[in-house]
Amino acid sequence: MTGLPAGTVVLRPRPQLSLLLHRRSAVVAGVLVLLLLAVMAVAACVGQTVLTPGEVWRTIRSGSGQYDLVVNQLRVPRVVLGALVGGALGVAGALIQTVTRNPLASPDVIGVGHGAAAATVLALTAGAASSPAALPFVSVAGGLVAATIVYLLAWRRGMHANRFVLIGVGIGVALSAVVQLYLADSQLEAAEQLKLWLTGSLNGRGWEQAVPLAVVLVLCLPALIWAGRAVRPLGLDDDTAAGLGVRVQRNRLAVTVLGVVLAATATGAAGPIGFIALTAPQLARRVTRTPQLPLLGSALTGAVVLVAADLAARTVLPPVEIPVGALTALVGAPYLLWLLGRANERP
Amino acid sequence: MRSRAWLVAALALVAAVAVLSLAVGTRAVPLPAVIDALFHGGDTRDALVVRTLRLPRTEVGLTAGAALGLAGAVLQAVTRNPLADPGILGLSQGAAAGVVFAIAFGLASGFSGYVWFAFAGAVVAACLVYAISLRGRGGASPVKLALAGTALSAMAAGATTVVLTSSSATLDQFRFWQVGSLSGRDTGTVVRMLPFLVVGAVLVLVCAPGLDALELGDDTARALGHRVQLVRGCAALGATLLTAAAVAAAGPIAFVGLAVPHLARRLVPSGHRRVLPLSALLGAALLPVADVAGRVVRAPAEVPAGVMTALVGVPVLVFLVRRKVAGA
Repeated sequence: MTGLPAGTVVLRPRPQLSLLLHRRSAVVAGVLVLLLLAVMAVAACVGQTVLTPGEVWRTIRSGSGQYDLVVNQLRVPRVVLGALVGGALGVAGALIQTVTRNPLASPDVIGVGHGAAAATVLALTAGAASSPAALPFVSVAGGLVAATIVYLLAWRRGMHANRFVLIGVGIGVALSAVVQLYLADSQLEAAEQLKLWLTGSLNGRGWEQAVPLAVVLVLCLPALIWAGRAVRPLGLDDDTAAGLGVRVQRNRLAVTVLGVVLAATATGAAGPIGFIALTAPQLARRVTRTPQLPLLGSALTGAVVLVAADLAARTVLPPVEIPVGALTALVGAPYLLWLLGRANERP
Repeated sequence: MRSRAWLVAALALVAAVAVLSLAVGTRAVPLPAVIDALFHGGDTRDALVVRTLRLPRTEVGLTAGAALGLAGAVLQAVTRNPLADPGILGLSQGAAAGVVFAIAFGLASGFSGYVWFAFAGAVVAACLVYAISLRGRGGASPVKLALAGTALSAMAAGATTVVLTSSSATLDQFRFWQVGSLSGRDTGTVVRMLPFLVVGAVLVLVCAPGLDALELGDDTARALGHRVQLVRGCAALGATLLTAAAVAAAGPIAFVGLAVPHLARRLVPSGHRRVLPLSALLGAALLPVADVAGRVVRAPAEVPAGVMTALVGVPVLVFLVRRKVAGA
């Protein structure tokens, strides 16, 4: 049992199969799952009409009844969508931050969110995407294109993290200028709707957004399991990783693409919700106390944070619903500022 | 001599741009008619378009552009940061948030009210960004300033959105102003802007020699007999005033303050007594050009000037980042 990293145990369910388990991460993951279920339950109960957990449970089980509309058609799909979007953003953030070795480089900072948003708005106004089923593809394409542009522009005799982030910010500004343009162009009613979408909101969204997102997440699962192993050496410096026999550049590219796809799909489902991808991995790492950003922990943290933020967004200022993206920006941006203030303090 | 020639050329450019802005649009007005309308008035449709619609927005464009160009040049010197710009440092969104709160809570209506709230918002943003980027090892590096500004902009935008979702009347008033459009301004806007601009411009011009010294580093500047903190504070206050006035009049317009000073520095030898006036003139030329381009690109629909400057400015930012910040 020598040579194991501290705080880990080896599970041997069968002689051929062994799993390295970080004990604290496993406990944290379990606690986060319970926390997520609790937050989701509260979110299903609380709103303009406050229901008891019993009433909610009965309505879900019977699929009908007095509260069918509120519970089965509004709150449950919305809560599930929130958990999926938050989870996807959390994982995407962890992947991209690991690859760039920069806690500032979240998908929304490097232009993915804006790219997905711009593509979606263009498709909506051009009438090209009349069915909601097509929108996830549009936003994934937009996010990938934006990230590619940022990557190419930032590449100059190697990749420098700060250059990457700054150019991402710039491209984000240009893309949001395009979006603003369509916003100012459209009628007031359409502008309000677009504006809502652009700040990121779960309002009025449900299964038609949640199902495609869930499909994408399931399809990405094998890749995520692979990434969970692949990102570990990427946290080391390039030479060490290459010395261990890792194909650094190829793995880095694959992990980045995976992160962008996840972030862009989430954006397509709920609009660009900022700062979840940035904060969730860092929060998760502080709780698990691992040197690496934990993928599962990041996903669960993202889900908990987004469901809780959405709950706050629709209950803080009744009857007004704040777009949840505005709320996450209000809470997340100070965190980014704090992170900047501490930059370079750690080795 | 060379720098004086550039100043004269820039003045001529500003005049040409002003005439262009009066003549070009959905309804093209011939040059003689423009001049006639300016000097003799009259009730023809051309004269009305020129006098009541295009003249005010041209005036706002010229003054706001000059203010932003000047503010950008000063901020770049004060922060020793080639990426500094009222938009990137978060001053513009801070000012915008101030204005939105003023509109939504009925604290102020009209420009003279807005400008104080814009000023307050910009000051708060400036202080926060500077304080935050100073923390940590490495001090206020260009990258940290830029990222702190971006983060603060996001926060201000979030707060703005929270206010706007609760009131669709505010949204309707705000959405045209927010993107940095010059349409729908009246001549009074510029008159009310002027005191703030004059005070701001005087403050930064007085600081010009000190800004030159700052470029050599704080210690050298001190050795040369400059009071570093005083210069920095005065110049930053002036730049904040200029930004606030421009934002209150025209909305947050990004990248004018970023691109213009770089151009000015290439044209004239170093020295802020030459660079600052040229930046102001070039800014005054750039913003109306963006406005005119926005009128033409998708006529009869208009593209707000702020969108045009962002589309032009981002390539400049990318170019600068690729050249200068490598290794920062």
